[in-house]
Amino acid sequence: MTPVAATAPKQSKTKTATTARPGAFAGNLLRVDLTRRKCWAEPWGPDRMRAELGGVGLGAMILYRETATKDGKKNVAWDHPDNRLVLGTGPLAGLPVWGTGGLTVCTIGPGTNGPTSTQANGFFGTNLKYCGYDAIIVQGQSKDWVYLYINDDVIELREAKSLIGLDTWETQNALYRETGLAGHQLSVYSIGPAGENLVKFAAIQGDFGHVASKNGCGAAMGKKRLKAVAIVKGTKALRAADPRGLMQAAEDMSHDLQTDASARSLYEYGTLPGVVNLSKMGALPIKNYTTNLTANVAGADMAAWEAPKLRENFDHRGHQCNACGMHHCHMSVIRHGDKKGQIVDEPEYEGWSGCGWAIGAADRDGVAWLNTECDKACVDVNEWGWLCGWVMECQEKGYITREQLGFELKWGDIKGAHRLLQMVSRREGFGDVLAEGVKRAAEKLGGPAKDCAIYIEKGATPRGHDHRARWEEMLDTCTSSTATMETGNPVHPTEIGQPARINPFDGEQVAKYVAGLRGRRSFEDSLGICIFTSRTRLENICRAVSAATGWTFTVEEALRFGKRTASVNRATALRCGHTGATEYPSARYGSTPVDGPAKGQAIRAQWEKMLDTWYAEVGFDRKTGKPWPKTLKELGLDWLSKDLWGKKS
Amino acid sequence: MKVLKIHPEKCTGCLRCELACSYMQTGDYQPAKSVIRVSPFEGHTSYAPYTCTQCAEGWCMTACPVGAITISAVGAKDVQDDRCVGCKLCTIACPYGTMFYDPATRKAFKCNLCGGAPACAEACPTAAITYEDVETADWLGDFARERTARVLAEAR
Repeated sequence: MTPVAATAPKQSKTKTATTARPGAFAGNLLRVDLTRRKCWAEPWGPDRMRAELGGVGLGAMILYRETATKDGKKNVAWDHPDNRLVLGTGPLAGLPVWGTGGLTVCTIGPGTNGPTSTQANGFFGTNLKYCGYDAIIVQGQSKDWVYLYINDDVIELREAKSLIGLDTWETQNALYRETGLAGHQLSVYSIGPAGENLVKFAAIQGDFGHVASKNGCGAAMGKKRLKAVAIVKGTKALRAADPRGLMQAAEDMSHDLQTDASARSLYEYGTLPGVVNLSKMGALPIKNYTTNLTANVAGADMAAWEAPKLRENFDHRGHQCNACGMHHCHMSVIRHGDKKGQIVDEPEYEGWSGCGWAIGAADRDGVAWLNTECDKACVDVNEWGWLCGWVMECQEKGYITREQLGFELKWGDIKGAHRLLQMVSRREGFGDVLAEGVKRAAEKLGGPAKDCAIYIEKGATPRGHDHRARWEEMLDTCTSSTATMETGNPVHPTEIGQPARINPFDGEQVAKYVAGLRGRRSFEDSLGICIFTSRTRLENICRAVSAATGWTFTVEEALRFGKRTASVNRATALRCGHTGATEYPSARYGSTPVDGPAKGQAIRAQWEKMLDTWYAEVGFDRKTGKPWPKTLKELGLDWLSKDLWGKKS
Repeated sequence: MKVLKIHPEKCTGCLRCELACSYMQTGDYQPAKSVIRVSPFEGHTSYAPYTCTQCAEGWCMTACPVGAITISAVGAKDVQDDRCVGCKLCTIACPYGTMFYDPATRKAFKCNLCGGAPACAEACPTAAITYEDVETADWLGDFARERTARVLAEAR
């Protein structure tokens, strides 16, 4: 039976919350209807808050409940006015817990034409909650370009004609000038040219360097003709149910981050150590997966890529998100070369990879500059790496001619890559084909060019790693319902009954591990906290949620919550047509490394068995992709079971 | 004599100080009620917190027509709520912009050094705000003199 949204619990129509709201929540959802040009506050009650929390927990339910076609049998497409763009925070956002400016974007994205959940940080969540809202739900489509202005109870859809064509940093600066505000007094999340031109891997960028990047959420925003969301730092108050308990939990979390071996380098250098560490595992993607040897990149000196040297190469300064004590996000000034003096956001590991190693570039200044150019254009730097690297390889092999592209693009050519970025984000010439994303562009070209392309058969692309040496991430990416990793990396796996280590090239062990770790990530993504500052024991996070809200929130409830959320997203994905049939890597993505530390490790030889194991472990039906009724019942999702399997189940 | 010292070069703009301050002031988290505020500089690449320096002149105290601002045991100029009539003269007199008025309570409010244990210094993760013993209370004057000498020397 095709899933419908018929029996999803309906929202209460009561205009006011019936009981006192739990601490830490702002108490209202902001509904924005762009077709009718109306905005209104929807109060939500304590029961729903506990069941959905915020972020992806809330977003998944809204997508399932509100994006079905009129007959309830299918899902609307990403470009339909009934698609929703949910910009959610969570109960920890705005509180004195490290990294809690959280934004979680949930929408039907064009990459897979299915659901997504993708996070950014900065001050979005802080400013929004102090204005009195826990999330923004955008629906409909505007006739003209607008931006949403929020200042406590003043909510306006303002004309955005003058902002069109501006990149995301220019947009934020223009809105600073327009409002007379600066810094964190105004949090701005916007789209650049790529979002305006519906590039299918467009991102939403905010607060100078924070990006919600997956599944083309920026195109979904562009289709609605919503250029930006600008939120003034509100004047309202948030209350923790147990402020001392909250501070204690926050202290324990930060202590873990500063002292635990698995998090300490992240505390010191953010994701910079990733480049060198992953290259030693064979998981640094080099030249579009054609090699795993850094020596094959011209000018590569790995000593210069050690985290301290990488950071010191720039004049840098901390640029942290709400209440955060990590030494992670930085603003940098380029010291050398033709871009000397330019301000860039210090790239995350994925930026060094997508704008560097994946396209055969090792010039640190150039890579950092190109990464910020991607942010400004609002292009997902991960898919950018796969796209640009693919074009470079195809040119080298003669699959894309100079005439087709309009110029010659060689490995490591930063200026040429920038030219390509402009073509793609403005859909100029061959850029129009490439703007459809790696999978669709590769299918259009077909033949041997298609075999070089890195993508997931569902339509999106993986994040900037060589997953041929990280099997758990490839399996997670392909089976996920959100177009990106849904289970995530192991963080203190023994706390939830999983082994500390597994054999990374044993498909059986990998599949069991990915299934066993399920739940934690979806829970974290519902709290308004950063993926990095939540790298602490789950028990600490649960204590913070309990102290903030006044509930007793246990590790068991957290995992159950996360699995429930992932099941709801799976149901939406099924309605979008994503059964198990598309859970495969493309030929190149799933190929066998020809050199480097993972040489000869063939994941495709074990793939079917890995899927069998994963399905059995998570309690999903291998044939239809649906969660079994028993699985749903255990998660308290009887209503979803009826939708998926019919009333007799 | 202990004073709040601010080291702007260490500030990362996380605004933890504002949250801590507002919690001390109100029992809730409400940055709008914080008496320490963080401002951006240099194209949003730098931030600096700023609050009352407890200046030796005490302009707010001089301007107050009802004597509602007194010096506390820890040397902070402190607003006595039961005397303040909410006339806002102090907010005009303060040359540093660190006197605030709360329309909800109709009283002026400012930094009182949390009675000797400033929450902002406690909360700052990078030690950009410290509470230190200094030789003179006029640290702002000392800072200005030291900086002027340094800048002039560099210019030569």
